[in-house]
Amino acid sequence: MQAVPTFKPAEPIWRVRLQLFWRGLKSSWAMFAESKIGLTGLGIIIFFAFFGFVLWPIYPWLMEHIAWTPEELEAARNAPYGAISSIYQVYDPVVGYDPLIPGIENPSPPSRRHPLGTNQFGRDILAQLMASTSSEFMLGVLAAVITVVIGTFIGAITAYYGGFVDTFFMRLADVFILFPLVSFLIVLGSMIELTLIKLAFVLGILYGFGQITVILKSQALAVKVKPYIEAAKVAGGGHFHVIFRHIIPNLLPLSFLYMMFNVTGAIFSEAALSFFGLLPGIKVSWGIMIDSAHSGGYILGGRSFQNWWLWMPPGVAITLLCSAFYLVGRGLDEVVNPRLRKR
Amino acid sequence: MTTLTTYPVLQVENLTMHYTTRKGAVKAVENVSFSLDKGEALGLVGESGCGKTSVALTLLRLLPENAKFLGGHAYFFRDGSDEAHARRAVGKPVKILVDGQGYQGRLLELGRSEIVLEAHMDGRTQPVRLGRDQIARLGVDLTALSDEEMRPIRWKGISMIFQAAMNSLNPVYRVGDQIIEAMQAHMPISVPEARERVAQLFQLVGLDRQLMDRYPHEYSGGMKQRAVIAMALACDPDIIIADEPTTALDVIVQDKILREMRQIQKKLNMSMIYISHDIAVIAEVADKVGVMYAGGLVEFGPSEAIFKSPVHPYTKALMSAFPSIKGEKVKLTALPGEPPDLIKPPSGCRFHPRCPYATEICEREVPQFIEHKPKQYAACWNPLM
Amino acid sequence: MITRIWQTLTSGMSKYIIVRLLQIILVLYLYMTLVFIILEAQPGDITDIYTANPKITPEAKEAIKEQLGLDKPIYERYFNYLRNFVTGHLGCSFKWGNISPTPDPVCREQRPTWDLIKERLPRTVVLFLTYTIVSFYIGFFMGKLIAWRRGAVIEYLSTVVGVTLFTVFTPWFALLLVWLFAVNFGVVPIGGFINPDSWTNIRQVGSVDCSIGISCSNVVFNHLLLWLGGLTLFWGIVYLWSRRLPYAWQKRAVRWGAVALGLVLAGFFFGGGWPGEVDRVTLARDTKFQFFIWHFEFPAGTIPLFPLALDFVQHMALPILTLTLISFAGTMLLMRNTMLETMREDYVMAAKAKGLPDEVVRDKHAARNALLPVVTSLIFAIAFSVDGGVFTETIFSWPGMGQLLLLSALEQDYPVAIGALVFTGIFALIAHLVADILYAFLDPRIRYD
Repeated sequence: MQAVPTFKPAEPIWRVRLQLFWRGLKSSWAMFAESKIGLTGLGIIIFFAFFGFVLWPIYPWLMEHIAWTPEELEAARNAPYGAISSIYQVYDPVVGYDPLIPGIENPSPPSRRHPLGTNQFGRDILAQLMASTSSEFMLGVLAAVITVVIGTFIGAITAYYGGFVDTFFMRLADVFILFPLVSFLIVLGSMIELTLIKLAFVLGILYGFGQITVILKSQALAVKVKPYIEAAKVAGGGHFHVIFRHIIPNLLPLSFLYMMFNVTGAIFSEAALSFFGLLPGIKVSWGIMIDSAHSGGYILGGRSFQNWWLWMPPGVAITLLCSAFYLVGRGLDEVVNPRLRKR
Repeated sequence: MTTLTTYPVLQVENLTMHYTTRKGAVKAVENVSFSLDKGEALGLVGESGCGKTSVALTLLRLLPENAKFLGGHAYFFRDGSDEAHARRAVGKPVKILVDGQGYQGRLLELGRSEIVLEAHMDGRTQPVRLGRDQIARLGVDLTALSDEEMRPIRWKGISMIFQAAMNSLNPVYRVGDQIIEAMQAHMPISVPEARERVAQLFQLVGLDRQLMDRYPHEYSGGMKQRAVIAMALACDPDIIIADEPTTALDVIVQDKILREMRQIQKKLNMSMIYISHDIAVIAEVADKVGVMYAGGLVEFGPSEAIFKSPVHPYTKALMSAFPSIKGEKVKLTALPGEPPDLIKPPSGCRFHPRCPYATEICEREVPQFIEHKPKQYAACWNPLM
Repeated sequence: MITRIWQTLTSGMSKYIIVRLLQIILVLYLYMTLVFIILEAQPGDITDIYTANPKITPEAKEAIKEQLGLDKPIYERYFNYLRNFVTGHLGCSFKWGNISPTPDPVCREQRPTWDLIKERLPRTVVLFLTYTIVSFYIGFFMGKLIAWRRGAVIEYLSTVVGVTLFTVFTPWFALLLVWLFAVNFGVVPIGGFINPDSWTNIRQVGSVDCSIGISCSNVVFNHLLLWLGGLTLFWGIVYLWSRRLPYAWQKRAVRWGAVALGLVLAGFFFGGGWPGEVDRVTLARDTKFQFFIWHFEFPAGTIPLFPLALDFVQHMALPILTLTLISFAGTMLLMRNTMLETMREDYVMAAKAKGLPDEVVRDKHAARNALLPVVTSLIFAIAFSVDGGVFTETIFSWPGMGQLLLLSALEQDYPVAIGALVFTGIFALIAHLVADILYAFLDPRIRYD
């Protein structure tokens, strides 16, 4: 009897997979790029990323060479009180100060050396803004990734196994959806000390068991009844194989979409919590900036619009970044949900 | 043999419209002309996308925003003594039928005993005076009416049974209430009276009157269809347009409903326009048939004549595609090719790429719609006589 | 007879309500269990959480322990924990001292948590209800209009404005508005709930003696709340009942008659003087521009409720404006999107074919169906609204549940914080239930599951 010829693909499987993935990515990008909204959001995100990761490290160096005159540098190094040895001391977001601006004049309006002015402690506002950007990003992305991991996994499992597992997680999701998360976080923050990482984890878990699970579960159900799932089982795929190799990859686009909305929520929650002073572990963030402006009485005092640089930039930054992720999410919505596409 | 005197309710002349899309203009309806008399059932038949529904929507002025009306007339006739109808027509293009003669033009003045019409006669326009009592039928051009002016005509003059009737019932309101709503929009009728009328209509279409207070999702497909028919009859319209009335139903229910519709039509002496792609349906209900292809009307005439001896090759092909149980075993001939792209339709006669009888002139010039056999019109350079 | 009742209970609407109620109780149970787990997971003894305040005397500590069952094994503690919430034993505040003439036997000098919650809950309820209804209606109305009259410019503008308002940072935005309206324009008070100056001389309202302990403002406020609730309920029932009337003119007459009746009754109640003890009521304006100072002279021994109620209203104006601005954008955008989808449905075209006027097609057919997904999303957004309430109440110093939650968390007043958290949750759940019932009322398909 002849041996059954085995089929040898011309190319290694992983390369074929990669090509298909790449092609899919390109067409999704084309669809995404059609929506003005999504592009606007992406543009803002890229701007902030640039702002926080590229501009921030070189900012003090940049200022030293562009904004400060040699005389000023000289005077700063030799100032009678609080002389500085390096420009980084001026632009430190947590303890920085400008020796050339006497304490009484702080908060000082935007000037050549301080494009957005200084706050009442002498810290450069722009520096604070930039420094926070990176932590906001990391928090948002970390929380969102955790959410997606949990949500996808739980969604797939509940769809696959059904029964008691299904009911349990769905009721649990009900709890997480219906309850005001920030209020919960507030109380939690008062009981345990939250750092950025811890906060990201908590947010990730809270979101992960909530609405995203419900949505991904229904998507997973739709995938589960597709013929290729049955084919995989017939071919001998075990439970894990089916779940990881087949169901979960189909959930990923939707997960990615909801990740965007979760980033919005994460950044918002962090800002709110730090505004109320419940995140002592975090030294600088946009929320804290607004808080210091508020508790310094600079907002509600009589002439507060004169101190606009204290509280306008951080508020605008939060709003912009949150809405940017939301817009990207909306743009992605049209890619993932064919129903919403324009005619 | 007695001839039933009948009079026209609708005369459509050279109706043309297209849709503007990103890819270009879809020439959906091209020079369609037909007429409908009282008590007649006209069947418009043709493949999907040939423009049948667009014609109906144009008549009722329900076209979407990207539709552009390009010309033609659709005269909707009422009795000469109908005061409200005449008043609506002032200033509009009209067609007046007087003792067998027709005047076409614009209605200038409407007096108590006479009217003044700016008529197009012998290539000129001149004012014509006519006595009111002379006028048999007064037809107003629907295409010239504004949306607001169309409102009284909608449903009360012409009503429509939409394709996939189950979707034309609003799911959050009771079915009876939706019918009452239609009635109250057009006639001063109190709710108890309206409810009684709905009950009668339901009885007519074969529905239990208690269903009046139920929601659409509690109905079956066939029941919904009947309810929609009842709704179309609610205001006692002159014309009912039924667009694919049975497509969404299974064959048995389909047959039943078609029969009942035919009965109702005969009983109330209604004028109807059936639109369908299924020639079997048309064969069952229509007195006159209009065959449409790629936006144009290719043949028009009494249904028996059309079925027995079609003039246009396309009509013949449609007949061949439908096997007959009683007749001899014929080979089913499928038409080669596909319906044309309406954005760039073929030149000349739009059917010529698929026509087995096409000649050189068919590619060059659009054939005229003329009466090749008695009462049978067709647009063809090589009619099958 | 029993079978008739059973039949009505297990059919359609009633069945739906009961099922939802049971589900909500289950969810509440899960939530409280979750909170309990987190409490237990704290380092340290759970007793400490409730008694860590140095101000509490040892005897009080024992009493609290006793009442809450903090020294029993974990299973008993869990059961007691659940039971305590039902009976209202939520521990004693660390921060707030007792103000009632008869102090609580367990808490002695400290104010019981339940007392605090009882006082503050109505205030939050009023704020929440008012702004939810207003913002929903505005969002619904604008979304409906924008979708009906298409136009690229309007759509783009509304999207931009909508998204901005939707994602704006709430505390910052609230501060902005406070600064704008209260400090800059000076038309509304900066914050707070009442202007204490207006209330100083009042010692008794009706039959309630409020010279010490219970504040008079609470009494009047609760009356205001009762009236608002009662009127809304009354009008709602009249509206529902009038739907059965056969003629349109009858419906209109009944509804407007009810409106007039309600307003007249309210006018009498609030306008007339109440028996009470006050010398003279001066409603001071604590805003920048003193337009005028209202003096009310009433016969000795009466109190006018109307100017006092006005004091609340003027303090509510800005918080409601803020909350409305933040919330309506979401509703508007969603309404616009669903309306656009609904407009493509066949029954909208059928309605137009029936010769109905344009507005009727838009409102009765298209908008009515577009409403359904919007209400669904509102159900999910309740949690978000409650959060927003927390921020707003704090910034505006509106002494409601939200502010209680935040303040107690900041002060590490754990009993109050936990109690407030659970009650906020309960509040959100009840709102959810109401929204669910409303949805079932709007969409008949869901009742027959």
